[in-house]
Amino acid sequence: MIKRTAQTTWTKPAGGPVTGKPIARPNRTAEVQAYFPEFVRGLAVSMRHFFKNTKEMMLGQKPDPVLESLEEGVTTICYPEERRPYPERFRGIHRLTLRDDGSPRCVACLCCSTACPAQCISIEAAEYPPGDSKRGYERYPKTFVIDELRCIFCGFCVEACPCDAIRMDTGIHAVPYDSRDQFIYRKDLLMEFSGRDGSRKSANPRHEPGDPTHPGLSRDHMEH
Amino acid sequence: MNLVELVLTVGKIAIVLGFFLNLAALGVWADRRQGAMVQDRVGPNRAVVHLPNMLARLIVLLPPALFGVLSIFLALGNVTPRLAHERALVNVQLTVLVTWLSLLVLCVTVQRGGAINKLEEMFEDIDPRSIFFGGLGLHALGLVAMRFVTLDGAPAAARITGFVLGGVFLLVGLYATSRVPEGSIPLRLAGTLHALADTIKMIFKEDFVPKNADRLLHSLAPMIAIFPAIVVTAVLPFGNDLCFADNGDKVFGFADLGNLVNAVPASGACAGWRVPLQIADLNVGILYIFAMSSTGIIGAAIAGWASDNKFSLLGGLRACSQMVSYEVAMGLALVGLFLVYDSVRLGDMAVWQGQNAWGVFVQPAGFLLFLTALCAETKRVPFDQPEGESEIVAGYFLEYSGFKWGMFMVGEYLEMCFASALLVALFFGGYSLPFIHPDGLRIAFGDAILYEYKMTHLAVTVISVLGFFGKVVLVTWFQVFFRWTLPRFRYDQLMKLGWTKLLPLAIANMMLTAVVVLAARSAGPAVASWLKILADLSQALIAVLTLAGFVALVVGLLEPVERKKFLASSAARFAAAMGGVKAEPRQA
Repeated sequence: MIKRTAQTTWTKPAGGPVTGKPIARPNRTAEVQAYFPEFVRGLAVSMRHFFKNTKEMMLGQKPDPVLESLEEGVTTICYPEERRPYPERFRGIHRLTLRDDGSPRCVACLCCSTACPAQCISIEAAEYPPGDSKRGYERYPKTFVIDELRCIFCGFCVEACPCDAIRMDTGIHAVPYDSRDQFIYRKDLLMEFSGRDGSRKSANPRHEPGDPTHPGLSRDHMEH
Repeated sequence: MNLVELVLTVGKIAIVLGFFLNLAALGVWADRRQGAMVQDRVGPNRAVVHLPNMLARLIVLLPPALFGVLSIFLALGNVTPRLAHERALVNVQLTVLVTWLSLLVLCVTVQRGGAINKLEEMFEDIDPRSIFFGGLGLHALGLVAMRFVTLDGAPAAARITGFVLGGVFLLVGLYATSRVPEGSIPLRLAGTLHALADTIKMIFKEDFVPKNADRLLHSLAPMIAIFPAIVVTAVLPFGNDLCFADNGDKVFGFADLGNLVNAVPASGACAGWRVPLQIADLNVGILYIFAMSSTGIIGAAIAGWASDNKFSLLGGLRACSQMVSYEVAMGLALVGLFLVYDSVRLGDMAVWQGQNAWGVFVQPAGFLLFLTALCAETKRVPFDQPEGESEIVAGYFLEYSGFKWGMFMVGEYLEMCFASALLVALFFGGYSLPFIHPDGLRIAFGDAILYEYKMTHLAVTVISVLGFFGKVVLVTWFQVFFRWTLPRFRYDQLMKLGWTKLLPLAIANMMLTAVVVLAARSAGPAVASWLKILADLSQALIAVLTLAGFVALVVGLLEPVERKKFLASSAARFAAAMGGVKAEPRQA
């Protein structure tokens, strides 16, 4: 059973020969054939554009390419002097969010590196030293490396992270470098990036072990 | 030719060549800049030189200070009453000009960047257009006021106005210097530096010669191509004839150069030594131009042949056939003009146009035909088949690189500038301006004189030279527009246009002109006087249009721009929070 498409001007008539679509010839009046009247009109158009744009360029009245994008005139972005800001949901370079004491929120659970389809995250987990209040509750990343060349910016690591420790809200796109090792972002670099609002923490509160708000086990339950 | 004439000729060559070479370089820039502005692109504005702050302040301060000191110095001297009167008039007009121009700049600066003191706060709410109209009113008032200054009071008036002008210059210079912002100043000059950067780049580029090319001819071709574009400028009259009085020894020597006559009669007759402002005052004028510009074909042909490349050869062939074809139409389109002017000397043509009407009014059909043929001669869009990059890679200079290619490029723009100069000399009055005669300004229709103002010989000459060069710049600017407006012709259309349309039309124009000229010359004095009034009306039309164009240009520049912000996306909201994405207010 062949599916019949609706007949339009562009479809071949069923069973019939291919017929061309008649196209109207341009109307060659004496005015058009004389060439000069049309030429003067064309000059008028290009001059209007020229004067308008030159004036706006020289007097710094060029329309803002983002805020006034509907205005006519030169709305080209002069990258890198002018940069179009990325939209809110843009996934840029990763950053590691910080706790109140400035250490990374990451607890080295390896969820992100597991979720990563490009396998670009490599984490070496380590225990806190004996006597630290966090020892036995969580671990910390001794190394946290993201290979930005491998990364496909899918955002799965951000989705997978249970502690809101990794984010892609910097609003910066990956910078072009000239060697591969410059794309390897380590923990200290990732901790230096801030979100678009300039903060390096995240808005979600963090409950440290020992706090009354800490939802998990405490050492008092360990006897049971 | 004695020594003093030789020295003067070298000076004239320096003026003409300096002007044309610089205009060609600026033409390259103007072409790119105009293309960008017509197509709503940014265009060349990246090249930037960061000036140290002190240097920027010096550049801002130097010209006004120089002019101010110069005008005060001139005001201290003693001159004849007539010259003093003229000087006072110029001083008044210059004072008004400098005042409104600097107030405008200040107003725009304040409205863009904010005021820094009480004086500047006055300009925050002023419409800049009102400043301009006030300035125009003051110009007219100054003209009227100078009618009441008698010749006895002229020296005092010249002195006072000179001091005032100097004071205004110094004040403006000092205030502008104080307003130069801190830090290094990025100097972009609207992208003009790109021409300089390109030149430096071309010097260091590899000079590639194809393996089997004829090395000698390959290197010679760019020179042959650029040579005619330079030598044809020799016969262009770029100003009134200078007239020096003889110091009594009946020989034109260096001693005579000090005695420039004060005034010449309206006929332009000169009792002493006449120095035409023209490198070579040939009596074959225009024929020399045709002969020389024909040799430009050889450069293109040799470039195409010597490159050992089929595409280049095709380009060279196309260039040759096109230029040969259109030279016929070009020559014949001008014959009507020679019939009217009764001369082939460009100097005589300028004089005729100054006394009667501009060539574009007496030969409109000839003008259109000549313009078309001239565009084809310069091998620019829409007649740029020799370089048709869609079918033959780049035409006859495909195998050239570095400065040889640059010579072809500059040669093309030189030809364009020269074509503009030729249009000006033949059709736009040469160095003559409406109502400016050798003895001064005289607005007259037929025999009725409305306004007369006697000027010195020097003033008329300066005005005529500035007028000629200004017209050439304007026409060049206009010619670049053809490129950004018209699509390219097909090659057979181009040939058909040249041979079957322009050529018969040019011949018809020639015959018709001959009939009309004969009829007009044998019609008697009544028709002649009517023709004279018509000619004066055409001059008045030019003057009015020029003034109206200038006023419209400035008012258009000062018109405020209203813009609607449109924040549809989160990106636009981020941009608004940053205060816009403009890197700096002056991107050009």
